[in-house]
Amino acid sequence: MSDTLSRLGDGLVAVVKEDCPTCQLVTPVLEEVRSAGMPLTVITQDDPAFPPGLEPVDDRELEISYRLDVEAVPTLYKLSNGSIVDRRIGWNRGEWRDFTGLEELGADLPEYRPGCGSLSVEPGMPERLRLRFDDVGSTARHITVGADEDPVEACFARGWTDGLPVVPPTPERVERMLGGTRRDRNEIVTDVAPDYGECTVEKVAINAVMAGCLPECLPVVLTAVEAVCTDEFNMHGLAATTLSMGPILIVNGPIRRRIGMNSGMNVLGQGNRANATIGRALQLVVRNVGGARPGAVDRATLGSPAKYTLCFPEDEEASPWESLAAERGVAAGTSSVTVFGGESPRVVVDQQSREPESLARTFASALRTVIHPKLVLGFDAFMVIGPEHARVLSEGGWDKARLREELQKLLTLDGAELVRGAGGIAEGLPKQMADQKIPKFHPDGLWFVHAGGKAGFFSAILGGWVRGAGGTQIVTKEIRE
Amino acid sequence: MSEEVLLDPTNEAEPPLREPATRLGSLEGATVGLLDISKARGDVFLDHLESRLTNRQVEVLRFRKPTFSKLAPVDVRQQISERCDAVIEALAD
Amino acid sequence: MTDMEARGIPTVFVASSEFIDAAEAQAGALGSDPPRVFVQHPIQDRTDDEVRALADAAFDEIVSKLVN
Repeated sequence: MSDTLSRLGDGLVAVVKEDCPTCQLVTPVLEEVRSAGMPLTVITQDDPAFPPGLEPVDDRELEISYRLDVEAVPTLYKLSNGSIVDRRIGWNRGEWRDFTGLEELGADLPEYRPGCGSLSVEPGMPERLRLRFDDVGSTARHITVGADEDPVEACFARGWTDGLPVVPPTPERVERMLGGTRRDRNEIVTDVAPDYGECTVEKVAINAVMAGCLPECLPVVLTAVEAVCTDEFNMHGLAATTLSMGPILIVNGPIRRRIGMNSGMNVLGQGNRANATIGRALQLVVRNVGGARPGAVDRATLGSPAKYTLCFPEDEEASPWESLAAERGVAAGTSSVTVFGGESPRVVVDQQSREPESLARTFASALRTVIHPKLVLGFDAFMVIGPEHARVLSEGGWDKARLREELQKLLTLDGAELVRGAGGIAEGLPKQMADQKIPKFHPDGLWFVHAGGKAGFFSAILGGWVRGAGGTQIVTKEIRE
Repeated sequence: MSEEVLLDPTNEAEPPLREPATRLGSLEGATVGLLDISKARGDVFLDHLESRLTNRQVEVLRFRKPTFSKLAPVDVRQQISERCDAVIEALAD
Repeated sequence: MTDMEARGIPTVFVASSEFIDAAEAQAGALGSDPPRVFVQHPIQDRTDDEVRALADAAFDEIVSKLVN
């Protein structure tokens, strides 16, 4: 119910536009309805002179069409007390005769003709009209960019970007983005470290717009923000560390296909909009809502290009094994995000091994050097196993558990090699550990995902940040839309 | 371009203005650029500022901007940012 | 001028008092509050000596906006 509709009075309302053959067709029908003495208001969307002779109400502003929720023209409504009682869309003689009670209506017309799209639902219009005619309840500060300033530059000048240009977050774009979730815009998602500012769904949407996300990606971004802001993940520590670490997102489940993520060739690289923008949106939230900026809280010595964006889906369909999500306890058919605090991927080449034992040794040699070859247990690691390597393992009868077991064995190291001073290297473990046998990784510190192009005997290692108290822990969250 | 409204992506802890550049500790040893924005009499004004700054042992560099309405062209701005610690822009009339 | 500030170079903008309103409007539009010193209008009709006197009068204020 609204004032606008109340002003139309009770009775029939027909919404038309001049640029529509069906609306042209039904003009004589509307005249018949008028002549029969029925209360009829005609609303025109584009041309105040159309239909001639029917004294149409000028709705070029589209407020009435918006309030009537018009999808196609012509639509014939029955209104009572400012509310819609019923409607008929397009021209259908039988339906219109029933609707109006006029049994001779439209005798000369064809039986049926479909309508045309309403101007109020053209691309971009729903958001624009909602902002124009309703209070959408935004609680974000609105900032006016002067006529002299380019909005793209304004975002740079205010320190909102990661160094690359962002899409200026206009109210319309944010409105469109919020269409990607059922959650209320003012719902608090979480507090975001390091400033612990309250982060609403709207704030995430604003940053998602800037990152270049499509609305269908918003649920993934929201879940990623929730996941990194858990105490276990410790985004505060991760953002502030001097090590070159950032939050890495791995997506599982049906949502990957639905939003067009790439889990194949170049999965860790550039080019796919969903992969690129979801990771970027998360980084922008941490930066803008959390307040983690380089030189301030972010004190990374070297940083990493992964801090622009690193988000990718697992290729579950081609994988010979259970997915990361399944390992992490997510039910089949549910989509999830796993977040991992880590560094840029490092490639592992092995083009010769065709036996799993041999390939595992390659992996172990490469994994040995995560963080430092003489440092152990303090860090986790993720491996992205490419399809050709995965085939070598699976054809040899190895599943993830077998691989993990073998790597643990191969990476249980002699303390004597690891202590400070050993091998002429000052770095290492305290001397008293010299006679111990110590594994490089914790039993739950090594994770595998299957992704990448079908050709190429390559995998990748993503070394992790510090684990344990004060460090980070991998977190998996289910995505709700 | 017409005015546009953007929604604030931050936690709004700070006012939405840009932070100004850090000020100098002192003029001693600084190189100050004088940017003439080419309205008449700007040169007389800046000449005098130059002599007062030089008296305080400040190194002064002079630059010109061709018209008032545009921002300074790229190479002038680049020279200023490479060679100056501070800038005085005069004289808008 | 605001571009120099964005590059980390403290800048002062000197204008005639006629510009007080326009400068406020522009600053609001550009989202920055740049340091400005105003000298008494008119400028064009003054003698060189008068312009130099304006420079003298403004000097301390100009320096104060460049230095902490």
